[in-house]
Amino acid sequence: MQTHGATIGVYNQYRGYMPRTTYNAAYALRVLKMLVPLSDRRRVARFLLLMMLLVPVSRASDWRAPAEQLARKIAVATGPGAVAVKVGNRSSLSNSEVEEIRRALLAELGALGVHFVNADQAAVTVQISLSENLQDYVWVAEIHQGDNQSSVVMVAAPRPNAAMTEHPPAGLTVHKALLWSDENRILDVAMVNANPQHMILLEPENILLYRLQDSRWQQEQEFPVPHLHPWPRDLRGRLVLRKDHLFDAYLPGIFCRSTATAPLAVNCFESDDPWPLVTWPLGAEPSGLSAFFASTRNFFTGALSPGIEKQTTAPAFYSAAALPRNKYTLWLFAAVDGRVHLLDGITDQTAARLGWGSDIASVKSGCGLGWQILATGNGDGMSDTVRAFEIADREPVAVSQPVEFTGNVTALWTEADANSAIAVSQNSETGRYEAYRLSLTCGL
Amino acid sequence: MRLTGFPLLAACSLLAAGVANAATRPHYGGTLHVAMRAAPASLDPADPNQPDWAGSRNLFALIFDTLVSLDEQGRTKPALANSWQSEPGYQRWEFSLRQGVTFQGGTPVTPDAVAASLRAVNPTWKVFPTGDAVTIERDSPAPDLPAELALRRNVIAKRESGRIVGTGPFAVMQWDAGKKLALVARDDYWGGRPFPDSIEIEMGKSFREQMISFDLGKAQVIEVAAEQAHGASAEGRRVERSAAMELVALVFSHDPQSPADGRQRQVLELSIDRELLNNVVLQGGGEPAGGLLPNWMSGYAFVFPASANLTLAQQERAEVQTTTLWSLGYDADDPVERVLAERIALSARDAGLRLQLATGNTADVRLVRVPLASLDAHVALGELAAALGLPRPKFAGNSVDDLYSAENSLLQAQRVIPLLHLRAACGVSATVRNWSEVRDGSWGLPDVWLAAEKP
Repeated sequence: MQTHGATIGVYNQYRGYMPRTTYNAAYALRVLKMLVPLSDRRRVARFLLLMMLLVPVSRASDWRAPAEQLARKIAVATGPGAVAVKVGNRSSLSNSEVEEIRRALLAELGALGVHFVNADQAAVTVQISLSENLQDYVWVAEIHQGDNQSSVVMVAAPRPNAAMTEHPPAGLTVHKALLWSDENRILDVAMVNANPQHMILLEPENILLYRLQDSRWQQEQEFPVPHLHPWPRDLRGRLVLRKDHLFDAYLPGIFCRSTATAPLAVNCFESDDPWPLVTWPLGAEPSGLSAFFASTRNFFTGALSPGIEKQTTAPAFYSAAALPRNKYTLWLFAAVDGRVHLLDGITDQTAARLGWGSDIASVKSGCGLGWQILATGNGDGMSDTVRAFEIADREPVAVSQPVEFTGNVTALWTEADANSAIAVSQNSETGRYEAYRLSLTCGL
Repeated sequence: MRLTGFPLLAACSLLAAGVANAATRPHYGGTLHVAMRAAPASLDPADPNQPDWAGSRNLFALIFDTLVSLDEQGRTKPALANSWQSEPGYQRWEFSLRQGVTFQGGTPVTPDAVAASLRAVNPTWKVFPTGDAVTIERDSPAPDLPAELALRRNVIAKRESGRIVGTGPFAVMQWDAGKKLALVARDDYWGGRPFPDSIEIEMGKSFREQMISFDLGKAQVIEVAAEQAHGASAEGRRVERSAAMELVALVFSHDPQSPADGRQRQVLELSIDRELLNNVVLQGGGEPAGGLLPNWMSGYAFVFPASANLTLAQQERAEVQTTTLWSLGYDADDPVERVLAERIALSARDAGLRLQLATGNTADVRLVRVPLASLDAHVALGELAAALGLPRPKFAGNSVDDLYSAENSLLQAQRVIPLLHLRAACGVSATVRNWSEVRDGSWGLPDVWLAAEKP
């Protein structure tokens, strides 16, 4: 029996007339996107520069194959001889790309013996339209020969996904570095600083372990996340690195624990145990604060364990962030009611009209007051932002320019060392999920 | 831990006073009120008497699932089937079923139930359970079968004593045929419980009645007529529009009977000013169409001419010795169709043809509106042909070239003259969040959520 694999991962290759394939979840190939360990910001900058330099080269080579195929089809229809060719754009291609394609087409036609003349001298005219449909670029040649003789030939070339946006300028700067991109929903990512470096990816149905090898992430192990009950919409989950074993994974109604050494094993079971809200220093929980997550919804119920001093409940909330002070910890809760609640162990104060979204996380940058809050914006589905705030007393003050995301931020968790956070967004242009590491630097 | 005093808290509290901040995570709860024009007499998507209106998929998707669904790019993705595979030749396919799925009421979805559901609406298919999977055998190669299974008629349903039950995200609580449908969210839905607690759908409401309900806050989602979308938006309402996805076309009741008949059809096509129909009658609610599939779906539709050429039409007419008086049928309940038909008759007269308007079903040529049934171009073309009463297109392969050849053959047969592709439009209240614009006009109501107040 023949299996029809997914076309995922081949979008940058010329497809021509490749038969359409069906999606097979069981056999889908995972895309290994670009991935860089982010321990050294200069390496990242060099990598991004390299990528920018490489992009035009790779795109140019993408056009060559469909141009060659279309030229062959045209030449079969026209035969060698004098032809007038016009190229027009009906697609989202840029002017420079159109010019590149035009040159490639003319070069291929010339190589096939076609001579170019003005329209008034030509017996054959070819109108080439660079069009597109849902999945592909469609290049169409309308060939007019003599009286009323016309034919149409065409080729298809897959459309690549849109490029990423990059950082805005800032005072205290939020840096955003892509860790991973995937068609599947990404719930959380954890980077394991070992040799070799590892990355753990939490998805709705799987936990994936990657190893960095030759500057690329190679999948090492994959663990299913069995669950008897359907996941809630707006599924959330969190990875927590541990000292005595590699990690725990928390999902609504499900808890997974890994073993300590490779090859890893992961044991998942139904559990309503609270999720840790504090994960630093590594393995601090259970001494830190935890909260119960509503297993059929997308929020924490508000029940805290063990509590913030005397306060054992907060309003139902989507996310929480801790700001350690000299003698206490101020907790911020992005509540389901849309407000931000500040709990300090005694009082519950409310702040509103902050322009914050549902997700907040704290980061220890060492700049300014030492700790900052990263908060999402009011994403409209098409774009979102994350911005850094400081709270000197009780009033949040923006301390960075917002960093832009092409799509809503769907997860924002403080990383294990508290020096950075993981943000996941769903790109509204490509539909893909993108996991970023967000870190802060002082000044511009 | 010790807490020092908070002298500035009062200032912060003032900020907070009774004002809700926006939050981006979806909220669960609430009742979504929807109004629509159609008044279906049954909830069975495969009912042969079921009208094929543009919003039908939005209604049935609330109650039913298919084995396979399509994403925004028209690519197949798992639904009730987790995975699928075919034998070489694409005639025999096996679909592995998702485990733990139940019909409304709790009956498990079994391979037997799925096979029975598909057999009921596809009597020529051989469908039978094989372990945890369902096998489908077709008489001829069916490379598009997964996409075909995403069609509305292929929903998986349990039909018992005149009652139909689905596996969809909502369960039917109240059904007053053609008038009102009340749905409640299923906590055990395999795709996750929908955000709204319930949905109430008022049916059989004219566009005007829907707009009034919308303005009064009684309905949060309504349909808006294509020709009214621009005006409704200009008046400050939130109007969401799909890509052009409903074909308006003239369909002849039979093939050309003679070369003169064919030439007369050509004259009629050349006489119709599609730009005028779109800009004046439909207020820009669509796009002129020379092909059956819109360009965003095929990528080549512009090669089919869509411009009027009255001079050429008159020249062609001059070469036809005698012309036939054609009756032009249209839906008398659709005021836009009436105006379009009148315009077409006037244009034809300018070219020297005679068209007589008629409202019956026996006209020589009928003005029809057919929504695209699929985001898969091959399946969409096949379904369009079937809906127009044309022979099913035969595809030599899966390439865009093959698609073009099949569509070109349909057009060359001169049974159909494409006129326009209309956009579906709907009014959406500002309290409705997470509304996603889907190209085919799908609403995705399980994913929307209700905000407490307008932003």
